[in-house]
Amino acid sequence: MSLLKPFSKLPGLNTANILLVESEEQFQQSLADGLVEETAVTVNVRLAKSLPLPKENEESRPRIDLVVFIINLTSELSFQSAEASLKYLDPGYFLGKVCFMVTNARNASVPTERLDAVRKLAAALHCPLLFAEDQTPDGVTNATKRLLSILKVSAGLVPMATALYLSSLTSCTVPPDIDQPSFD
Amino acid sequence: MAEVKAGVAAKEALSEALSEALSEAAFSELMEQCEDQFTQLEKLQNEIILSEPDACENPQDQAVNRLMATEAELKQWLTVEPKLLASNSKVLLKAGKEEMLKLCSELEMVLSCQEAKRDKLKETKELEQKWLEEKQQVLIAAKNHVERIKMEKEKASEHSILLDTKGKIQKLNVYQKRLMECLSDVLEKHVPLPQYEPSTNKKKKSNTQEFDKDMISLNEILELLMNKTLNTPHDPYITIDNTFWPPYIELLLRYGIAVRHQESNFKIRLETFL
Repeated sequence: MSLLKPFSKLPGLNTANILLVESEEQFQQSLADGLVEETAVTVNVRLAKSLPLPKENEESRPRIDLVVFIINLTSELSFQSAEASLKYLDPGYFLGKVCFMVTNARNASVPTERLDAVRKLAAALHCPLLFAEDQTPDGVTNATKRLLSILKVSAGLVPMATALYLSSLTSCTVPPDIDQPSFD
Repeated sequence: MAEVKAGVAAKEALSEALSEALSEAAFSELMEQCEDQFTQLEKLQNEIILSEPDACENPQDQAVNRLMATEAELKQWLTVEPKLLASNSKVLLKAGKEEMLKLCSELEMVLSCQEAKRDKLKETKELEQKWLEEKQQVLIAAKNHVERIKMEKEKASEHSILLDTKGKIQKLNVYQKRLMECLSDVLEKHVPLPQYEPSTNKKKKSNTQEFDKDMISLNEILELLMNKTLNTPHDPYITIDNTFWPPYIELLLRYGIAVRHQESNFKIRLETFL
């Protein structure tokens, strides 16, 4: 078992590295295509099905600046896989270098408990929770833009802003009455 | 704290590397600075790798961890002193120019966005103003109406009600007079007193002449009946005596103008018309 560490390697010049973790491997490819189109900085996208990452590539792997867990709300497996993967991250990552991205939240067949569970998880880890639409090109572009703005901060490319600072402002909060049955 | 420093160092190295095509002196100066920063970065990196035994699993530890990191960052921000990017003015000029251009294009975007927004708001404003004007006109019309009604009401309360009522009474009086005249005319014309009746029948004539002196006209009978009804509503009956010409009684009874008393044959009253 090897932990992924945020500061184990030297950063590259004008480079940001993002790791997309998705057990179903549906959305990450289109996201990656959008992310590498950024011109101001070199964006390296690494894809993974789950953590831990395989040992053999460890030498060639750059320092990961942002880890994104993509959770498809319609599948329980997706959530469980993301939850299991969290163990293989160094605690240093949770200081603003992890974020959750939820897809299919609008699907009617999604049980509300699952969304609540994801929100609780994100809130417990002080991570931002993003909602994305993976079916339309517009939704993918939007998701890409949001990820890029977080990535630039967490890679240290934005002057006067740090990942910890940003995540303090954007981390997910759970409403206090989330466990109460709603009456509407 | 070390992490933050590493981030800051990386940032500075990057921003300085942006400037190319400078004079050689400036370029070498920049390179030197970059080298310095990078060696510092490497040093910090080694420190980080050496001092990383802490592994906390549960969220509570993580929260503590987070708190510590945030406090460290806060301290860092409080102690940090703003300093120039580089001492060379050419470098600064170049970097500043780039920054300015970037800012310019961003501001232009903001401007066009705002202009579009403004135009839209203008349109909305025009619509709203038109709407407001219409509403105000309606309000004015309604106010006028209210005022007019109020004035009428005020006038009415003082004087005109009296006049109105007087006029009505007068009208009614006139009408009643006309009715009475009409009635008397009709009665005079069609039901004259028996003594004036131009009789062709001699027998009848002689017959009527017997009662000539006491006979009363139909007018008087009606008057009696009406007065009785109005004055003593509990006992509207009048007694028939020989001053009443029997055919008139018959007439009144037949056409439902008068009613005979149920028990007494000699008593009649006016039909209850009301």
